[in-house]
Amino acid sequence: MLISFPNMGPNWVAFKTLFTALDLDVVVPDPTNREAIKIGVKYSPEFVCFPFKATLGDFVNAIEKGADTLVMAIDCGPCRFGFYASVQERILRDMGYKDIRVIPLDQADLLEFHWVKTLQEVSGRKDLFIYSKYIKAVIYFLKKAKLLNDIQTAEGLFRAYEHNLGDTTRVVNELLEKLDKANTLVELRNFKKVIKNDFNSIDIDKSKTPLRVGLSGEIHISLEPYVNLDLRRKLGEMGVEVHQSLSLYDWVVHKFHLNYHRKWLEHLAKPYVPMDIGGECVWVLGEYIDKAKAGFDGFIHSYPFTCMPEVTARTIITNKLKKIYDLPIIYFSFDEQSGQEGFRTRLEAFYDLMEARREREIKSTPEFMANGQKKIYPQYGGEFYNEIAQLIQAE
Amino acid sequence: MGLSTTGDKKRYKVGIPRALHYYRYYPFWKKLLEELDVEIVLSPPTNKNIVEEGVTHGFGELCIPVKIYYGQVLKLVENNPDLDFVFVPRYVSEVPESYFCPKFLSLPDVIKILPEVPKILNFEVNVKEFPISTSAIELGKQLGKGQTASVEAYKKAQAYFDEYHNFLRDGGSVNHALRLVHRNLPFKLPKKEMKGDLRFLLLGHAYNIFDTFINLDFIKKLHEQGVEVLTIENLPEYLFKKPVIVNPRGGVLRNYWQHEEEIMQAIRFFLTKGRAEIDGVIFLISFACGPDSLISELIMRDMKVVGLPFLEIIMDEHSGEAGMMTRIESFVEMVRRKRKRLGLEPRWKSKIKFYEGT
Ligand code: SF4
Ligand code: SF4
Repeated sequence: MLISFPNMGPNWVAFKTLFTALDLDVVVPDPTNREAIKIGVKYSPEFVCFPFKATLGDFVNAIEKGADTLVMAIDCGPCRFGFYASVQERILRDMGYKDIRVIPLDQADLLEFHWVKTLQEVSGRKDLFIYSKYIKAVIYFLKKAKLLNDIQTAEGLFRAYEHNLGDTTRVVNELLEKLDKANTLVELRNFKKVIKNDFNSIDIDKSKTPLRVGLSGEIHISLEPYVNLDLRRKLGEMGVEVHQSLSLYDWVVHKFHLNYHRKWLEHLAKPYVPMDIGGECVWVLGEYIDKAKAGFDGFIHSYPFTCMPEVTARTIITNKLKKIYDLPIIYFSFDEQSGQEGFRTRLEAFYDLMEARREREIKSTPEFMANGQKKIYPQYGGEFYNEIAQLIQAE
Repeated sequence: MGLSTTGDKKRYKVGIPRALHYYRYYPFWKKLLEELDVEIVLSPPTNKNIVEEGVTHGFGELCIPVKIYYGQVLKLVENNPDLDFVFVPRYVSEVPESYFCPKFLSLPDVIKILPEVPKILNFEVNVKEFPISTSAIELGKQLGKGQTASVEAYKKAQAYFDEYHNFLRDGGSVNHALRLVHRNLPFKLPKKEMKGDLRFLLLGHAYNIFDTFINLDFIKKLHEQGVEVLTIENLPEYLFKKPVIVNPRGGVLRNYWQHEEEIMQAIRFFLTKGRAEIDGVIFLISFACGPDSLISELIMRDMKVVGLPFLEIIMDEHSGEAGMMTRIESFVEMVRRKRKRLGLEPRWKSKIKFYEGT
């Protein structure tokens, strides 16, 4: 049995460890690319949401690299996501990959371990369901996911300050390799220091006062750089700080009912949408309000074309929240036809808009003043955010 | 406020937009609200103007039924400035294992922020959290009614709704039945019966199939081609008792969208025992519909396996009469040729064998 899973940005590191810790063989698909998208689009239902097509393409790639067991995260209702695994399996078999299994991994089940039983059945290995083993797998998974989340946080800040274009991206890639190789608890415990050191080695211009944007949206699109046209990197290289709490870790912890940040966002969104309607809808609304109150310069909402919950979020922001909070927002709805051209122009126009607004409003609004003139937000974000912020602020 | 008084009782005026779940629940809502002493105002059948209005207010990536809902709400409010409430229910879940499409979960949230919309009359159906009688009690509260009255009203509404369903299962068409409900007439089948040499199963959400404006009077077009039409509403209840398992040989999944589940349960019958009872299946889908984009794929693949002709029609506000006609005609022709080739008798309203009770 050779296991694989679809791409979602840097999160292959975490998924990989979940299976290698169980001593299972894993093959990581190539980073999502044109070929994968082409195949995904060709064999998917025409009107299904883009992540379905992209991940189907990844699966075909993984199968060609030898994988026979594909693991797909699912979430049962109310959105389409829960159907992905079954429909994709059906399509793959009809494509002629007769012996392929697609195993749904319900995140809520991560701690109930049905997925381990399924893997045990599929692999025929009797030794998987040993407590110490699968607990270790989950611990490694969570730790790596948390560290990936930290890398994302640091990356979002640092890139806006780098002297040499591309330094941050290089550091991130090196860190991913290192994290992939860190396979003892001691290494993982110390990895936060590694992240800080590596970022600290980047030559940055501390005198800058970059624009700040919040970014949220549908999780796959927001985390996978190939499908979102490398949105985070483009913003960073334009000199914009990107604040994004959405990550794999953020989601999984939410599924364990332990994500207090998300609970706070739900509280903010409650007057507008009182419940989880699928996707990230409620939390996008919460993030938008939160960022507006904190005096951010702008907000970016990225999602797959026609994504049901995100379209609802967009409707509510446009028709209501924008009028109340007036935080500039730009929407990107991605599908296989999204091109670089219009994308760049729109981003640049948005940049100009935010810049003008900062001059006009943020700097003169008393409640934002304290923030607007500081380089880094005081008391914003988690503990790690603040440690990273110190690195940039320290003279 | 537009409270009209009859005797010493105050009657609230409540508007119901003729869109989305109207086509599924109107008889239930009507009885429920009337039992709670409400005067109901219904928006007109969908027309060009309503669609345009909806398209302007709901943006591009929404499915057309939701855009029509926007248009219907705005029309309702425009025509009736004295409404006390607009009835915008929140259907989350009606059977414990299932959900509705995310757009139904947030319907009141997107409607209440439209300009000029009066107070919304809330009716949340969410059996994952509480029974429907509780929903009815909450509804009653907003109308100044006590618990007992609301529960009574709910019971009556449910009984009436059951009667309505039985009528549909006896062969009544939804639009005919809705007209009877609206006019407070007893359920009676029309004298003239449509007879055709072919029989199709027409699948899709009720608001796609029975909103004759947006689907360009699809059923009538089929009738004109000599095709008898069955919809899910006409099928016996027992077909819907067992859940459908998607992909039973692999990663087993229990379908969690209620309406899509009904579609797949209906299909399950015609894929197996009922294979010979119909000649083809047409699935009417709105552009940008999330659930149907997946379900239709599954059905299409199943149809190929059993060799049942299948046509998927995607509708949006730009669907043209001519294009639709050509597709229907060529599909019907194809099916008719196939029947001839197999040497089968025309159907002419032959009874379907449903194997009651199995
Ligand atoms: S949240 Fe959006 S992308 Fe995800 S399954 Fe639903 S519609 Fe598709
Ligand atoms: S089920 Fe489809 S057509 Fe109906 S509201 Fe949802 S997305 Fe729109």
